[in-house]
Amino acid sequence: MKDFQLFSPTELEEALDLLTRHCGQMRILAGGTDLLIRMRDGQVQPETVLDLTRISALHFLRQDSNAIEIGPLITHTEVLCSPLLNQETPLLVQACRTIGGWQIRNRGTIGGNLCNASPAGDAVPPLYVLAAECTLASRRGRRVLPIQAFFHGPGQTVLAPDELLVGIQFPSPQPTPLQFFEKIGQRKALAISKVNMAFLGWTDQEGRFQKVRIALGAVAPTVVRAVRTEDYLVGKRPTADVIQAASDMIETEVQPIGDIRSTEQYRREVSGELLRLGLAKCQKEEHG
Amino acid sequence: MKDRVIGQSVPKYDAGPKASGLLQYADDFTLPGMLYGKVFRAKVQAAILLGVRTERAEQLPGVHAVITAKDVPNNNLRARFGQSTDVGGQFEGLYRVLAEKEVRYYGEPIALVAAESPDLAEQACQLIEVDLQPLPGVFDSVGAMEPGSRQVGEKPNNIASHFKIRQGDVDQGFAQADVIVEGTYRVPYQDHAYLEPESGLAWSDDDGTINIRVSSQVIEHFREVAEILNLPHSKVRYLGTWIGGGFGRKEDITVESYLALLAWKTRKPVKLTYTRAESLLYHCKRHPFQMEYKTGATKDGKLVALQARLISDCGAYSALSPWVLLYATVNAAGPYQIPNVKVDSYAVMTNTAITSAFRGFGAPQANFAYESQIQKLAHILGLDPLEFRERNYLQTGEAFATGWIYERPIPLTELAQKAWSGLGPLGSAEGGRKLGRGVAIGMGSYGRLTFLHDTSRSYIKLELDGSAIIRCGVPDVGGGQGHILCQIVAQELGVPLERIKLHITDSQLTPLAGTTTATRQLMMSGNATLKAANELKKRLLIKAGQLLNVPIENLIITLNRIEVESSRKEGVSLVEVINRLSGEGEELFVEAQFNAPFTDIPASEVLQGQTHPDFTFGAYAAEVEVDEQTGQVQINKIVAAFDVGKALNPAIVEGQIEGGCIQGVGYALFEDMAIHNGVIQTPSFAEYLIPTAVDVPDITVILLESGSGVGPYGAKGIGEPPMVGIAPALVNAIEDAVGVRIADLPVTPEKIRMAIAQKPEGKR
Ligand SMILES: Cc1cc2nc3c(=O)[nH]c(=O)nc-3n(C[C@H](O)[C@H](O)[C@H](O)COP(=O)(O)OP(=O)(O)OC[C@H]3O[C@@H](n4cnc5c(N)ncnc54)[C@H](O)[C@@H]3O)c2cc1C
Repeated sequence: MKDFQLFSPTELEEALDLLTRHCGQMRILAGGTDLLIRMRDGQVQPETVLDLTRISALHFLRQDSNAIEIGPLITHTEVLCSPLLNQETPLLVQACRTIGGWQIRNRGTIGGNLCNASPAGDAVPPLYVLAAECTLASRRGRRVLPIQAFFHGPGQTVLAPDELLVGIQFPSPQPTPLQFFEKIGQRKALAISKVNMAFLGWTDQEGRFQKVRIALGAVAPTVVRAVRTEDYLVGKRPTADVIQAASDMIETEVQPIGDIRSTEQYRREVSGELLRLGLAKCQKEEHG
Repeated sequence: MKDRVIGQSVPKYDAGPKASGLLQYADDFTLPGMLYGKVFRAKVQAAILLGVRTERAEQLPGVHAVITAKDVPNNNLRARFGQSTDVGGQFEGLYRVLAEKEVRYYGEPIALVAAESPDLAEQACQLIEVDLQPLPGVFDSVGAMEPGSRQVGEKPNNIASHFKIRQGDVDQGFAQADVIVEGTYRVPYQDHAYLEPESGLAWSDDDGTINIRVSSQVIEHFREVAEILNLPHSKVRYLGTWIGGGFGRKEDITVESYLALLAWKTRKPVKLTYTRAESLLYHCKRHPFQMEYKTGATKDGKLVALQARLISDCGAYSALSPWVLLYATVNAAGPYQIPNVKVDSYAVMTNTAITSAFRGFGAPQANFAYESQIQKLAHILGLDPLEFRERNYLQTGEAFATGWIYERPIPLTELAQKAWSGLGPLGSAEGGRKLGRGVAIGMGSYGRLTFLHDTSRSYIKLELDGSAIIRCGVPDVGGGQGHILCQIVAQELGVPLERIKLHITDSQLTPLAGTTTATRQLMMSGNATLKAANELKKRLLIKAGQLLNVPIENLIITLNRIEVESSRKEGVSLVEVINRLSGEGEELFVEAQFNAPFTDIPASEVLQGQTHPDFTFGAYAAEVEVDEQTGQVQINKIVAAFDVGKALNPAIVEGQIEGGCIQGVGYALFEDMAIHNGVIQTPSFAEYLIPTAVDVPDITVILLESGSGVGPYGAKGIGEPPMVGIAPALVNAIEDAVGVRIADLPVTPEKIRMAIAQKPEGKR
């Protein structure tokens, strides 16, 4: 690893100053579980690194009237241990539980998972279906974007060189919806997703879907919503036939590629199966 | 002896320091003024090497040496791998230190650098320029056998090695068969994935002797290194370290020839440790094989003929490929009684990463094919797979396909039944997944090929206070190879384990014990140590007999004492006996040599008669749960049953079986080394996935102790054999669950799903 200068401010304003001053030259460090790997193998060789970990203003997790707000420095382990998130958004907890191993979850942050912008990032699809918004800040001011507007493509976000992700917020899902996160990796731990899916659906008294949100990871350049399938499910009960038709439809909505982790065909076919698997688990929990 | 040590799971000699982090591995050693070595490698698969320009690298301040082929006194050696007998012919290949005139594979070392920091060494590498004229690469081993294919290596064609088995008449055999199954099986590359990458530190003494402290399974490589440097063998010394995992990869020379050259050139200490990426991308792998099998049986379930053609990809240099091929050939028919066998096997050179030794050494490859065939036959014959096997297991006094008549027990019936019943009552699958069970058997040799005339030596010395010192050049790869010698001495001489000091792996000061490969150390160095201990024991008993005035047959050695067996209160302390002997000028040390069974060098490529000292037999049973939609496999249970002869330390034996099993699980289901045109695409453990703790269930280990081994106390070898059998057991279980049989390892969810979709009555 090349030598670099490390800045560890405690105030957000100071961090934004530093970013402005070193505009474009500086790399941002949260848990480092993505960044340090790329620095070690020489993919990035920054002159200066901005360490966010001492900025308490980026480390929060709260519920404000109906909104849940998560600071970018919240680690995956903190998500797992949060009573609030276990109560309100079990799918986000399920997703963070599948990330890496304990060591990675203890260091890796939600903000890092978003800013890294991997199409396979496991915390991202839950935030899509929760309709999360990202708050970005710089010396020039703040802006708030819906999560799908935050990503450009694999590894690319809309963050300007002088900007930080400072918060993620979403309405707490009311009333309690059906929800799940499912992931297929090559092994049970420490595996990047071949495909992942987050699902959020509200049903009426008769068990018919009123509103559905489905997001999939690792099957397109960014996480994608399966909007046609969502529309199809509205007004229907999740019978075996409906689920079959929905999962077939999902296969037509994704555009996966083949790479070292899996084939294009497998990703496509299995993305539909995740819906079946997830819903089966939800139903089992309800009845058993 | 009252307090028996043999047969007890006493903690290993090295366990405490390893657990606490005190133990020094190769990379932990440093010397003042040490330089850092780095290997500059080819970034092309095949080329004519027109020139290497190193001036700019040499001029970089802090760079002490840049070495290319022209600086190496002896750059091209006959690869010999530590055997002392000259076996010649197709067993030998070229060991080339640095690329010369040509590049044969992506990552082939071209130059070596020593500099004052790792960064400087890296920078110097970036300043080295090469003139290359690229050549079309040869990447497909089957195609490379065709006449007219471009010649990869120094041999007249790309077939580095060819072996045959000819037993009976297969045509006649197949004519008698009621059922014949054919199959083509492909098994992949596998990385050793040990914790400790290749590492060492070398320095030169004031008299020019080159010392190399290196993590190596073969300290006898000092001979090759001496030849590279044109030094007498006596002027190169290996000091081994406790090894952080070997699995065969540290059987070939790793960093030590480079270290020796750099230390020799700079006259300074030099360290060289590979990164994980270097280890994964550029060092030897397990041989991928393509195996075409045809097996025939009668309708009453007797095997009558087996024909096989095995093709292994040996990469750009032959390394240990001929030997691995020989093992695969000997294993090709398995431990079955088959009257007509014809095997042809080939090791083929390509412009791909070198393949060489890996736990199992050709046996797991062949085992996957012959067991898959057996399973298919059982299905077609409508016979229970266990019963079908039982009708065909080789029996004591019958001959292997090579014609070697085997006189020891072959308890495969018992082993397979124990493994199978060990699975217990059938579980229930979660979430609509399908349950399945499978069983498979296997055999693995222990001890080197008998025509290599293998020997080992060990030295024991008793101290005046009744403590003991062992010196034995045994490399310890973590399997208790060193520790077990202490247990033998403790058992035979009554010295408490904690009062025994063990010295291993100094090629000049510890008696040479041979390689820690081929599952040979317990048999070889265990027997050598037992022989030395028995000689010392005789001296102790004679003296004690004189002191106690009883015949020595009535004496036994217990902890720190020699006692009269019939009246245990009568006795004398070990210390007293030792001091008497010492006072009388008796020698309190013994160096003993053990010779393995010897046979003649094969006269031709047709393998005939005994090739190995012995085999270890075992069986695996597995229960899996398969998701038909996603193709994902969860292993619920594994039971392993092995005849280990005698478990000298059951905990170590179980550890070896569990470890081999898990490595086999990785081989069967997980490890997918992507290679594109000879270039490995998996530079880290983020792409090359081995199973984690949560991917592997608890493994039940059942030990059978027939006492029939060639090792001390009747022990058999257990280091490599557990790698054999697990892959077909898992594939059989998957077939039982979802009705598809995969012939190409690893069995990934992608392959399972695809196969299910293609089933005639396929799901969706
Ligand atoms: C062994 C291993 C296993 C892994 N397994 C998984 C897995 O299963 N699933 C998964 O999704 N990921 C996995 N990852 C990737 C990684 O751990 C996660 O993406 C993690 O959430 C990254 O968070 P971090 O805080 O460590 O990010 P960092 O490495 O600190 O940062 C990542 C990127 O985001 C930028 N950044 C971070 N915070 C901010 C901010 N507030 N504002 C602007 N830019 C910012 C950084 O500059 C960097 O480019 C794994 C990584 C490893 C090493």
